[in-house]
Amino acid sequence: MQQKRIPLSKIVFVFLVVLGCQQEKKLPFLGPKEVGKQGDTLYHKIPDFKFLNQDSLWVSQKDMAGKIYVADFFFTTCPTICPTMKTQLLRIFDKFAEDDRVRILSHTIDPEYDGVRVLKDYAKKLNITSPRWNLVTGKKSDIYRLGEKSYMVTAQEDANEEGGFVHSGAFILVDQNRHVRGIYDGTKEEDVNHLIEDMTLLLKE
Amino acid sequence: MINKFAILGLMIIGISCESREEITRQQYVVEGMNLYQTNCANCHQVDGSGLKDLYPPLAKTDLWQRIKMSELACIIKHGQKDSIRVNGKPYNAYMPANPKLQALDIAELMTYMREKWSPNKTIFSLDSARYALKNCP
Repeated sequence: MQQKRIPLSKIVFVFLVVLGCQQEKKLPFLGPKEVGKQGDTLYHKIPDFKFLNQDSLWVSQKDMAGKIYVADFFFTTCPTICPTMKTQLLRIFDKFAEDDRVRILSHTIDPEYDGVRVLKDYAKKLNITSPRWNLVTGKKSDIYRLGEKSYMVTAQEDANEEGGFVHSGAFILVDQNRHVRGIYDGTKEEDVNHLIEDMTLLLKE
Repeated sequence: MINKFAILGLMIIGISCESREEITRQQYVVEGMNLYQTNCANCHQVDGSGLKDLYPPLAKTDLWQRIKMSELACIIKHGQKDSIRVNGKPYNAYMPANPKLQALDIAELMTYMREKWSPNKTIFSLDSARYALKNCP
């Protein structure tokens, strides 16, 4: 039996196609786009913000400069999806423990109850440390506006809802330049696996 | 002859009664697993390991020997406002009540948790659940 030889040109061709495909894989830019003065695309950007974290320090966009981060919305007395979200965020926290280019930013949507002291206690019990993971509180209207307009998630008070708030369990991936690059379901382990892969990808950009 | 038959008869009844209770117990375990995953696993985790120092574990704990089962049934139904000690460590995050859970649900849940984590893997009967809930503090 004679084995047919595959011509080198064919191998090179397949190799190039595969390589090409791999280079294609890039995360999308999410949110409304605008056209700039020079006709270039201006991607949706997280605006300036300033909140207090669990250590009573101010956290703003300046602390996120050059970092990629995962944002979420929660409250400490939430009986439903938050514990699951925190379990998943802890996986991310552990996974990127050695990487200073990664941050987590958890906003409380119940700032009246979740003051600095409450956030500190919560952080201590979950072994969460700033600045890698900031739990932040601030003016309710600021947090809600930022959540809805910028991170594109729902965050509202609702007396009919268990725990008194309605909010999504989304994790929002923001890149080094304040652009939203992915939105994931923070209550689903597989979705968070996907997020971790995307974070690794984003760190290479 | 009669004696032999009588003994055999008693044995058969004995076996079938026991297995009937065992069948009920196994049904409770299966139903209880679903209830656990819907109502409890969020905080206490699917494997009962709890969430760090925030929510107490259920697996590998002294809870099953130290706390009365009727008391646990009441905590599941009505929640827990005070601090609770598990394996000697205090946990003080409040536990929400589960008003939707009825006596049968609680019986199934308790039976499931006993099966998984208690050295005493017996059924927590519907009657026990009803009695416990009627006498909650």
